Amino acid sequence: MIRSISWKNIWRNKSRSLVVIVAVTLGIICGVLLIGIMKGWVEQRLHDAIYNEVSHVQVHNKEYLKNNELNLTVKNADELTGIIGSFPEVKGWVKRTKMIAMVNTSWGNTGVNIYGVDPEKEKQVTEIWKRVIPGAGEYLDESKPGNILISDKTAETLKLKQYIITEKVLSSLRSEKVPDLILSKLDTLKDVRFRSLKDFREALKGELKMKELDNYGKMIIDKALDYRIRNKVQITVSDETGNPVQGTFRVCGIYKTTNTSFDQASAFVNAEEFAELYDGKGVLTHEIAILLNDIESADLVKDKLADMSPENEVSTWKELAPDAALMNDYMVMYYVVFIGIIMLALAFGIINTMLMTILERTRELGMLMAIGMNRRKVFSMIMLETVFLTLVGAVAGMLLGWSIIELLGKTGIHFSTWGEGFEEWGFAAVVYPVITADFFLLITVMVIVTAIIASIWPARKALKLNPIEILRTE
Amino acid sequence: MKVIEIRDVHKIYDETEVAVRAVDGVTLNFDEAEFAAIVGPSGSGKTTLLNLIGGLDIPTLGEITIAGTNLRTLKSSELIDFRLHNIGFVFQSYNLIPVLSAKENVEFIMTLQKWPRKERDDRTFELLKAVGLEDRINSRPAKMSGGQQQRVAVARALASRPKFVLADEPTANLDSKSASKLLEIMEKLNHEEKITFIFSTHDARVVKMAHRVITLEDGKVVSDEVRE
Ligand SMILES: Nc1ncnc2c1ncn2[C@@H]1O[C@H](COP(=O)(O)OP(=O)(O)OP(=O)(O)O)[C@@H](O)[C@H]1O
Ligand SMILES: [Mg+2]
Repeated sequence: MIRSISWKNIWRNKSRSLVVIVAVTLGIICGVLLIGIMKGWVEQRLHDAIYNEVSHVQVHNKEYLKNNELNLTVKNADELTGIIGSFPEVKGWVKRTKMIAMVNTSWGNTGVNIYGVDPEKEKQVTEIWKRVIPGAGEYLDESKPGNILISDKTAETLKLKQYIITEKVLSSLRSEKVPDLILSKLDTLKDVRFRSLKDFREALKGELKMKELDNYGKMIIDKALDYRIRNKVQITVSDETGNPVQGTFRVCGIYKTTNTSFDQASAFVNAEEFAELYDGKGVLTHEIAILLNDIESADLVKDKLADMSPENEVSTWKELAPDAALMNDYMVMYYVVFIGIIMLALAFGIINTMLMTILERTRELGMLMAIGMNRRKVFSMIMLETVFLTLVGAVAGMLLGWSIIELLGKTGIHFSTWGEGFEEWGFAAVVYPVITADFFLLITVMVIVTAIIASIWPARKALKLNPIEILRTE
Repeated sequence: MKVIEIRDVHKIYDETEVAVRAVDGVTLNFDEAEFAAIVGPSGSGKTTLLNLIGGLDIPTLGEITIAGTNLRTLKSSELIDFRLHNIGFVFQSYNLIPVLSAKENVEFIMTLQKWPRKERDDRTFELLKAVGLEDRINSRPAKMSGGQQQRVAVARALASRPKFVLADEPTANLDSKSASKLLEIMEKLNHEEKITFIFSTHDARVVKMAHRVITLEDGKVVSDEVRE
């Protein structure tokens, strides 16, 4: 009986009930989305940090990390790699040469770390080969000498990135259904070469209206972008004695990870060719990068290696990419803070609505207490109302939240307008939210519990009503 | 045994400068199956007295005993339970639960008292028939006239066979035709069910139908006459 009254009471003031239902639904959706996005981000950052940048464990000469000198190579590198290869935890490993170099073209120059790698072995440990931009050349190939793989960011600094509206670009835009009006406006820019994105944007702004730019700007920029692949770049490194030595490489491809800082500091060449440049005696190993089967065994492998080879410095991904490690550790704290805020908002909403409900029904509640409905029953009647509202909202929220995450997990969320800012910090501009069933349930349970706790106060307020005073004021 | 014994009951409100003696030394008894009206000018203490009898309020002085139980001996939670099992109430308005049908409203107290479904259904139908609303069983209060709502309230008050029914100005919001009809029904049920009715009223035509008329003035009983 009480249950049925509560259920029917919900539908008395439909719009108000809807407010509570929507609040709960939104609470769950927001919670699920927030956590999904954060988890997606953190997992992406962790994955990229490990698979593009630092692997799970690295070995260096103790001095090398302080002082990147040519002769500070990993001690007993060959012996060590033999041992590493025999560890059951290890999935793959590579040796690398790593030197600071000056790279220049006739239009620009920049400093980078040049990694001398074995291109094929490198594929077993890092995913840089997968990060080569489609249409922007290819990954290093041992059989093709003299190649260097640079990042999009480096290409930009070296002015190897240009924007040019060719006939091909125009016809491709036409096939994408860009209106003729816009194409005719672009005609004035035809075959003009822009060496920076900024200049090209300025030029577009001069020709197109704001609205047109919003709609087609990104597409035009994407199509007009042209990397000058096969261009020669000059590289300067210091040899053993500290004298600069120079060599010329050809850009074979352009890669781009989600971390601009890593990108602008890293270029890759074939290790043996690199060795010829700096001394010609053989390949030096400054770094051993190790990929494990399970991230959890990083500390174990580090300890084993450190014991075996005290003369080298062994570091885990946590030390090499502290930002990713920190994110990972503090993730839970962020969840708590964000969910806390959502729950607080929810609680306020519910307290407010339920107080209004009770205010509106004082006469009825007074009558019920007068004819003999006890406090426990009045209390549970009001509580049940909130519980029902919350459950309806929770079901809606769970269904919607799950579908939204499922959908966005496939398409990703594009933060394109702020994308550049994010990538400076190593976060991708496209996030694929993920959520595990346990977190999903946790949020749902928390929302329901919050709603119920929030309704205790209004329900207690109802109990304090004095029936005779209410009945007297007719 | 008397159904209600009221012994020298006073109710004094002294929140204001001048203490108000709303009920001022009332002694009254009620037997089974009485049909009694409490009359008197506005402010004479009718509502206050009915609230005291109904266990909604506690006298400042004096004792009220209902079917052998002195109300003073009950804690507030016991008092609610006592009302549920012994007293039927009809108020001037807001008697019914808006989201429930006529049938469900009549059943309400029996449900709180945990009657078995079959007995509940039979009793509900019997009473709704007695108040002439057997065709409105599934109507919600908002779909019924004021008189019909008050008849449902009377049926609800009687449903669990309480010791007596209290009705504070049950006809105040009704036109005279509906008022007479309600009183006729109340009288008939009083006769059939042998349950005491005590109601307050301002309406002379309603007073005429009472078997006993108690007149209050300034919280005191000034006359108590039984008519046949
Ligand atoms: N809670 C209260 N505090 C102070 N005085 C009160 C309170 N309740 C009632 N009174 C006073 O007690 C007196 C009796 O009031 P009561 O409502 O019992 O009269 P009544 O006969 O029912 O009047 P009416 O015919 O207008 O309903 C009045 O003077 C009223 O002002
Ligand atoms: Mg009154």
